[in-house]
Amino acid sequence: MSRSKKGRREARWRGTPVSDGVAAGRVLRVHSGGRHSIYRVALDAPEVEREVRRYRAAVRLSRRQLLALKKRAVRALGDEHAYIFDAHLLMLEDRKLNEDVETIIRSEPVNAEWAVKVVTDRLLAVYDEIKDDYLRERSSDIEDVTRRLFVALSGESLPSRRLTEDACLVAEELMPSTIAELDFAHVKAVATDVGGWTSHTAIIARGLGIPAVVGLRDFYRHARTGDTVVVDAQRGEVVLNPGPETLDAHRARLSRAAAVPRPAPVDEPGAPALTADGVEVSLLANVELPAEYAGVRRHGARGIGLFRSEFLLTQRGVMPDEDEQCEAYEELLRVAGEHGATVRLFDLGGDKSGGLLLGAGDEHNPALGLRAIRFCLVREDVLRTQARALMRAATKGRLDLVLPMISDLTDVRRTRRVIEEERGRLEAEGKAVGPVRIGAMIEVPAAALVADKLAREVDFFSLGTNDLVQYTLAVDRANDDVAEWFRTLHPAVLQCIRRSLDAARGAGIPSVVCGEMAATPAYAVVLLGLGARSLSMAPSSIPRVRRALSGVSAAEAARVAEECLECATADDAEEVVRAQFGALWPDLFPPETLPPPKSRG
Amino acid sequence: MVECEVRVVNRLGLHARAAAKLVRMASGFRSAVRLERCDRAGAADAKSILSVLVLAAARGTELKVTAEGADEGAALDAVRELISSGFGETEE
Repeated sequence: MSRSKKGRREARWRGTPVSDGVAAGRVLRVHSGGRHSIYRVALDAPEVEREVRRYRAAVRLSRRQLLALKKRAVRALGDEHAYIFDAHLLMLEDRKLNEDVETIIRSEPVNAEWAVKVVTDRLLAVYDEIKDDYLRERSSDIEDVTRRLFVALSGESLPSRRLTEDACLVAEELMPSTIAELDFAHVKAVATDVGGWTSHTAIIARGLGIPAVVGLRDFYRHARTGDTVVVDAQRGEVVLNPGPETLDAHRARLSRAAAVPRPAPVDEPGAPALTADGVEVSLLANVELPAEYAGVRRHGARGIGLFRSEFLLTQRGVMPDEDEQCEAYEELLRVAGEHGATVRLFDLGGDKSGGLLLGAGDEHNPALGLRAIRFCLVREDVLRTQARALMRAATKGRLDLVLPMISDLTDVRRTRRVIEEERGRLEAEGKAVGPVRIGAMIEVPAAALVADKLAREVDFFSLGTNDLVQYTLAVDRANDDVAEWFRTLHPAVLQCIRRSLDAARGAGIPSVVCGEMAATPAYAVVLLGLGARSLSMAPSSIPRVRRALSGVSAAEAARVAEECLECATADDAEEVVRAQFGALWPDLFPPETLPPPKSRG
Repeated sequence: MVECEVRVVNRLGLHARAAAKLVRMASGFRSAVRLERCDRAGAADAKSILSVLVLAAARGTELKVTAEGADEGAALDAVRELISSGFGETEE
């Protein structure tokens, strides 16, 4: 058994790889500060004063962090945008909060975490009673401050300042607010206990082109900050305290992994990929984080095919107002260039709210609940603000709007009506507005089944394959226990895609496939075969998809896709791809790039 | 003790930014400053942001402001001015 210099044993965890590459570095543990992990611990009388001091130290630490964040925000965004940190600071200084917490610590007597939980639970309950939606949203600020206190009490403060060059983030789960706080440009790899291929962590890791393995179950508990770690997203493995032999073995793979993704130079920014038989495929960028913006041009994207706008909200922890949104969309247009950007309406509710419930209550079945377009139609004020900001920004460039989770044409009509009302109002106010094309996300089987009707009333289709797979196969994409039922090449999924692409072509409107499927070279070729001529993906995925597409013939891809459509099972379709791609393009698709057999037998 | 009534006029009401301004200002005075909704639906210590936010004072809410202490007159004037001026927020 090999041992590291600290004498800790080498240990391995298997998980789900959600991006490419291999990296070695040092563990940086990130506590997520969740409420669920807070327990009540009764104290003996002599421990009480020490506990109060511990609480006060946590408040001081949180204060210092907020002051630093505020300073950064003032520098980056200006005084007016830093107010939220000011509000958080005042909450921490709030006499009532501190008195109540200390009273509970002393009178029960009980641990500080529990006292904070009791007091803030009570506050949150009062907030739930508030009638005014905008004011009620402020409960998310209390949640944020509480989380910060829990983390401070845990002794594992957010280490943004100490982020070393070789930091590998290790967490139970990465919260959107944590992601906003950390300087991801310096993160080398990510390993988390929960999450799946389409989790927030995964999408961001792919966007930044860093290796990530999720679903490691209990890795966080075993890793210590500073431990050496290898995160291998090619094998879906994490090695803690690797011995010299393991490091040597990985070093060879490390250098290979580093050598592979260097993109071939792109002649012209936004140039389409050209298949061997001369078919053009446009490659666009999916983005949400400002850190990903640089990749849009670098990887030769033809504009932004999908901007997940809810990130504007999770990033700041508050609903951005009209002016803030307008600025953000204008910035997006500057990044996108002449080909423009498609903004997805806030996809909130379900698993997307990142703790910011905005009035949506706890739902028994959030994936089927009040989310995306449904949420926007119920919370019309949110929709109106976003529509106004988009139309104003559209004077600066080509901006399209796509409506998420459309299941019925009525959703489109209702949304259009609201948007047109706001257009009228903006014009009456004398404000300049630009044209905004409106498209439908096709991500629910119902939408694919009525795609021909939808295509007559929208300007374009965006196929969201992550949700399309989830909803067609009724598989929760974040649930590891059913991961083997999540089958992208299931014939039912392929039929939904084909049907939607055909409907768009029939109606003469453009369509773009923008789920994670498009970012995987083998799947991208299947999409080409199904008739897709426009794919949108994490910028860092563009070079490898471009390479794959330029090596294949669209006619052959169509033949393979046709064969997959005729299959009875996902296993059969995957086997067709493995056999055909392996035979047609062995250099492009060595076995490890093709979907591995995962038959349940 | 001095008191006055004032109406919340800014679009978003006593939201986080406005509440932060109010609490910072009130905390600058030695006097105790309280806010009470004229509909009796709640009262708050103007130096506690959590207490002010829970008032849920949306636009149009009538508030009674009271101040008591050495600098009560100045405190009352400052708070009334801040609220009635819409917290210096520009309206659309």
